[in-house]
Amino acid sequence: MATLRIENLHVTVEGKEILKGINLIVQKGETVALLGPNGHGKSTLFYAIMGHPRYLITEGKIFYDDVDITEYSTDQRAKFGLFLALQNPSEVPGVINSDFLRAAVNVRKEKPISTYNFYKLLDTATKEVHMPFDLATRSLNEGFSGGEKKRNEILQMMLLEPDIAMLDEIDSGLDVDAIQVVADIIKKEQAKGMGFLVISHYARLFDLIQPTKAIVMINGKIVLEGDKELIKRIDTKGYEFIKTELGIDIEKEDVNMNEVSIGSCAVKEIVK
Amino acid sequence: MCKRIELKTLLINNKDSGNYYVLDGNDYFNDEEIELDIDSIDSGYLLISNIQDEKIINLNINNSHITVSLFFEKTLKQFKFNANLRQNSFLNVYAAEFSYGKVSFDSNINLLDEKCSTDWHLASLSSNDDNKNICVSINHLSPRTTATVNNYGVCKDFSKLVFSGDSLIKKGSTGSKTVQNAKTLVFDSHSDAICKPILKIDENDIEASHAAIVGRVNEEHMFYLTSRGLNVNQARTLITFGYLKPILKGFLDEDIKKSISNLIETRL
Repeated sequence: MATLRIENLHVTVEGKEILKGINLIVQKGETVALLGPNGHGKSTLFYAIMGHPRYLITEGKIFYDDVDITEYSTDQRAKFGLFLALQNPSEVPGVINSDFLRAAVNVRKEKPISTYNFYKLLDTATKEVHMPFDLATRSLNEGFSGGEKKRNEILQMMLLEPDIAMLDEIDSGLDVDAIQVVADIIKKEQAKGMGFLVISHYARLFDLIQPTKAIVMINGKIVLEGDKELIKRIDTKGYEFIKTELGIDIEKEDVNMNEVSIGSCAVKEIVK
Repeated sequence: MCKRIELKTLLINNKDSGNYYVLDGNDYFNDEEIELDIDSIDSGYLLISNIQDEKIINLNINNSHITVSLFFEKTLKQFKFNANLRQNSFLNVYAAEFSYGKVSFDSNINLLDEKCSTDWHLASLSSNDDNKNICVSINHLSPRTTATVNNYGVCKDFSKLVFSGDSLIKKGSTGSKTVQNAKTLVFDSHSDAICKPILKIDENDIEASHAAIVGRVNEEHMFYLTSRGLNVNQARTLITFGYLKPILKGFLDEDIKKSISNLIETRL
């Protein structure tokens, strides 16, 4: 049974500590909802798990099936069975979507997939995510709308069949029908045993995919665990109750304002 | 020794899209300099392949619309490409520069008559200890002449790649338009790429622009591709391939297209 285990994880981004000791276990077959206000480290956790070079792990460890993968490269983690659907997938000009998908599908296969089988697989998958087939033959995400990019992420998840998929705000930018389509695919994969770690700000998606557990991240720490009731409570009341009930002060995102000084007339400088 | 070649002797076939000519460097192995007159061709396509070591190619283009594709895959020392355009001529060039060695590549296109126009595309890959100097110059010598130069390069290992070239607009060439683009991807900390675009303008009523970019492979792109299980090399190959591949559209011959693709893949 594939298990992702995170122990006391501390992560620094560009010199600033974002995660301050995360402990978390996600098993295959589970669906964990990850909630929390903006800028409190949810996406950072995903990037750190996937091994993005800019997210520096200063303390703690990540285990996958009791193998310490903290020092592993991103592609090795993917080969283990981890997947991250990005909130804002990059546009990569010149790289044809289907070439990329095929290379990615082959990574976890012993024998490369035949052209015919690949196109059959791609054809079925694109239909299931309601994505026009021609998007698969265009440059990766280039000129895709927000919704098309998200569908493309789900398409990749279907083709790669990871053990544990992390979905970062997969529902943002999707219309109501598209959310339903994505939720149907998630449910299908849940039935097949895929594990999920899902970030979303909206109860709609969670209503559809029925998480087995909900956790709330504040100030780079997990402060609360619960179930569907917790999601409902946050959806209706927001995060303020955490402050009053648990006595945790929710840090606001720092907004660095440029220092602006208005000098005397006709002095042209000063704006730092 | 300069050898004059009759264009019609190079004709391979006559397609709907136009005449298809092939100049195979192997056939003119002993001639250092080759001269070719292209006159009154509505729609022509000329492939020049097997260019090696030292070669000078001179094209005199008169009242013609022609695409010239150049394919380099061997050692190259000194290559000169000169084209003189007259009487409403249009020259479209696709150069797949995958030669190796210490290369001096010089291209000089003269737009001699009014409304003559050229589009230049070059993709270059330098690896190992290649040292390439690629210079593409355009001379606007008459009014309303237009030119676009696009140079794309990939530089890896211990190689050096320099893109340079002057776009000159002579006094009196009013209404002319010239564009220079150079883009280079640098792979390793010990590979060296330089872009030196130069515009020499001696007329007011013209349009001129240039862009030069030298950079590494985008970190976010690499993360995205590797997060799907591709290793660093595969990801880099895929990105670079996408970067050089547009040159393929300048080649009609399927075999040559394939050998260019293979060449890129093996050399990355």
